[in-house]
Amino acid sequence: MARLGMVIDLARCVGCDACTVACQTENGTPPGIQYAPVFRKEVGKFPQAKVFFLPTLCMHCDDPPCMKACPTSAISKRKKDGIVLVDQDKCCGSKACIAACPYGALHFYEKKSGMYGEKITEPEEQALKKFTPGTAQKCTFCSHRVDRGLEPACVVTCPTNCRIFGDLDNPESRVSQLLRERNSVALRPDAGTDPSVRYLP
Amino acid sequence: MLNSITKPVQEDVWVKSTCFMCWNTCGIKVNKVDGVIVKIEGDPDCPQNWGKTCAKGNAGHMSLYDPNRVLFPMRRTNPVKGFDVDPKWERISWEEALETITARLKKIRAEDPRKLVISTFDTRGQSGVFWMAWAAAFGTPNQWGGGANYFCGNGFHPVTYLTHGTWFGEPDIRHCRYLMLFGTQNGSVSNHLPMDLAAKMADARMDGMKLIVVDPVGINAGSKAHEWVPIRPGTDAALALAMINVLLNEEGVYDKEFLTKYTNGPYLIREDGHYLRDHETGKPLMWDLAAARPRPFDDPAFGSVALEGRFLIEGKQIPTAFTLFKEHVRQHTPESASSITTIPADTIRRLAHEFGQAAQIGSTIVIDGKELPLRPAAASWYRGAIAHKHGMLTGLAIQFLNVVVGAIDVPGGHLGNNPVSQTAPLHWSPVPSADGLIMPQGYARRRKPPYPATKVKPPERFDLLELCPVAPYGTTFFTEALLDPKRFKLSYFPEMLIVCRSNPLMTCANPDRMAEALKKIPFMVAFACEMSETAEFADIVLPDAHYLERLDANPNEPTEFVGAGEGYWYWMVRQPVVPPRGEARGWVEVLYDLADRLGIRGDAYALLNATLDLKEPFAYKPTEKYSWEELANRWMKSWFGADKGIDWFKKNGFLITGKKKVEEAYTRVFLTPRIPLYVEYFLDAGAEVRKVTEDLGIRWDTDDYQALVNWKPCPAYDHSVPGYDLFVVNFKLPFHSLSYTSHNALLAELSEKNPYAYSVLLNADTARKKGIRSGDRVRLETEEGYEVEGQALLTECIHPEVAGIAGCFGRKSKALQLSYKKGVHFNTLLPHATERIDSLSAALDSCVRVKVGRL
Repeated sequence: MARLGMVIDLARCVGCDACTVACQTENGTPPGIQYAPVFRKEVGKFPQAKVFFLPTLCMHCDDPPCMKACPTSAISKRKKDGIVLVDQDKCCGSKACIAACPYGALHFYEKKSGMYGEKITEPEEQALKKFTPGTAQKCTFCSHRVDRGLEPACVVTCPTNCRIFGDLDNPESRVSQLLRERNSVALRPDAGTDPSVRYLP
Repeated sequence: MLNSITKPVQEDVWVKSTCFMCWNTCGIKVNKVDGVIVKIEGDPDCPQNWGKTCAKGNAGHMSLYDPNRVLFPMRRTNPVKGFDVDPKWERISWEEALETITARLKKIRAEDPRKLVISTFDTRGQSGVFWMAWAAAFGTPNQWGGGANYFCGNGFHPVTYLTHGTWFGEPDIRHCRYLMLFGTQNGSVSNHLPMDLAAKMADARMDGMKLIVVDPVGINAGSKAHEWVPIRPGTDAALALAMINVLLNEEGVYDKEFLTKYTNGPYLIREDGHYLRDHETGKPLMWDLAAARPRPFDDPAFGSVALEGRFLIEGKQIPTAFTLFKEHVRQHTPESASSITTIPADTIRRLAHEFGQAAQIGSTIVIDGKELPLRPAAASWYRGAIAHKHGMLTGLAIQFLNVVVGAIDVPGGHLGNNPVSQTAPLHWSPVPSADGLIMPQGYARRRKPPYPATKVKPPERFDLLELCPVAPYGTTFFTEALLDPKRFKLSYFPEMLIVCRSNPLMTCANPDRMAEALKKIPFMVAFACEMSETAEFADIVLPDAHYLERLDANPNEPTEFVGAGEGYWYWMVRQPVVPPRGEARGWVEVLYDLADRLGIRGDAYALLNATLDLKEPFAYKPTEKYSWEELANRWMKSWFGADKGIDWFKKNGFLITGKKKVEEAYTRVFLTPRIPLYVEYFLDAGAEVRKVTEDLGIRWDTDDYQALVNWKPCPAYDHSVPGYDLFVVNFKLPFHSLSYTSHNALLAELSEKNPYAYSVLLNADTARKKGIRSGDRVRLETEEGYEVEGQALLTECIHPEVAGIAGCFGRKSKALQLSYKKGVHFNTLLPHATERIDSLSAALDSCVRVKVGRL
């Protein structure tokens, strides 16, 4: 069994948002929902100041609080690779998972709408078929790609190659190597979630 | 199950093409499902971007499906033109539109073809080459580059032409260990070849390359730098020259061998500033130390060449150019530069020292069995540094930092984008002029090189290019000339403007003034995907094909869009992934329909045969009429062989013609033409401009035609009326390009969520002193009375004397609901004024003083 995970090298990231948009088009997410936003925070005082970029996504926690919070067991963790998924058919729209996630990684899809307003474009029409209104949505680690042997869209598009994807349980994988070679941090360690996404500062 | 899909998919294909969301040309593959484009990815095999795509590239198809797209030809029925004026469009047929246009074009062509103006930034590949041939066949010289040309690479391209012999350049990040960026964000997904450079830059930074970012704004590139050096806008040349001074006069660190062999540094200079020439041959002289006598620069009998010193010749002490240069830069002390730039003198000395040491003068590297100089230090520059009144001198000053340490076209330094090709189908290489300086040839000459200076004459073109002998384009003067043609002694006035992929009302300077200029042109035809501000001023709007609906042979020009240094030669195609929506058509294809109606098709073909050097049996026969695709097919076959027609390219997306040889990758030591460190030819060019403009009675600034570069204050620096205490500058975000991307739904969403996109950035301390807090509505006002309003964002990442406005936002066309009045329109603050245009490069000064107040 594998534990798929991602190592994000923050030193490489230039905050260009390519990952954010590649994710949106790959997954066809409804307007306003970004599974992989890049957050920005300023650190330091002029002139020793800079913007710190933090690319994010679902952490695919080893112990996912969203899964525990879900009243209808709609959230599960795939045995074969540890990907955490929401089953829309089982989701009752309670938003308990959204409240439980310490990372803000779950989103609520209210109702069908278009990015340009009332008129919904053809790619959106196609994409929105996959989404059930009134359900929780989140990053799937692009499980549909992973199942075909491809890497997630955010990894593939990243111009600086700052996202590295692989099996955390395989000591030979690039992600494991990086975690051995360099210091890494998990977001919100206090939450005790054991996330599968790690950051290299 | 996740992703339960109800209907089975009939068609699911990937089509290779070339992106066009900015002026770069990344290889893409486009996923079409049941006839609808659902996804764009980078093409992993394309050497342009190796599978990477930025946010813009990922979002490209959303513009295609924009519900507000122009889909049919339309005629304006409201003669009143203006912002927020309803044009009262009436749908017409293509036939009616083309007949109306043809009638006007026929009349113009019979009277005076110069009365037609074409404005576009669609200047490359099949579309670019073909509309230019069309314009030439029609007989108009009036090509108006549009907004981007007002302050794009004006002070960059002529400098790279002079020093590398090619239109573009980039730092050699593979080998560079110390990189300084002046007003550019290479590696942060902006500027040139952004995917390639982003990956290389991240690798290099991780590998220990030191990155110094000189910029008033530090939110992107500055944030990834080892050192962000905030600088007062418009003063980059002062920093560069002070660094050169430290290297030459304080540390004695400069590459004597490089300067002697590859620059005109050893040329002897007369008292009047001109070369001392050989009486017999007229060639510039250098001093032979061994023989103690001057010889023509290319005399094979040379013993050893003197780079420095003064030599007694015919009773006079004659200095070398380098001697004058070295003495000249003494005035640029770190202390004086400090008061100009606000950078501490110690920092300037340290940067110079680090740069000089990093260059490792004397070191070598062996690549492919050839020993080459290794100079792993480079300075790169772009709009931030050069979009100023004295932008060309600034560009030269920064590039001379590279020149003095020998970091030009050698591993680790600043490289031209392919000054030399020895690989089929095209071969080119710069040759020495009579004076021994770099002159690009062949394909590399297809843009206007600054040298030799073009003939100065009374202007006929509305961009006054005749008065700009060393500029790449004169675009910026267009507005001036339209507003006041008599001032420039222009004897006619444009009657018709055709505009496509150019939005001068947003991307140039103050839109109200631009609107005045546009309204003076009696008839305007706009090809448009989106109903841009400029399209709204048109008399006829025609639906233009989106780039994912369009065919373009060879969109990536190898002196621009093939990475410099080691790598591959490749040629790409942009192809229609879906049929055009509505009645849209590729605009240049339409021009060729008009060519038939005007009877100029044959002439255009003849010009194309010559421009593209098309060989039989593939040359265009003037008597034939080819489809757009067949035109591409013949071109491809002629260049790449009968088996490499358009179908081959459509299937494969691009053709790799070879791996670059070391002589192509690092050209300097394989070439003899020299770099003008002392720009002697400027003296004559300036004298000519002075003479012609004086004869015509045109007031024209010729002060910058000087052989030795220095820093000069731009209007915003010099002119400070109390209260107008901040410089306002424009900065680039990695997910927007020009005005066009601001209405893309995915990119507009990023703008909404990015705190820096729609705001007015103010230094936190400066703002607090003015009683301004983040979130406050503020007004920025120039002395000319131009003003914008926006929401303040207090930041530590901006120079205390500067207000920053991102991108090209604040759209004015109501048809663009997602971006209408969103964010702040920077260009509104820029006056159109001749005195704000760099007389050498025709760049519009892109910073201005403002008063900032809370509303």
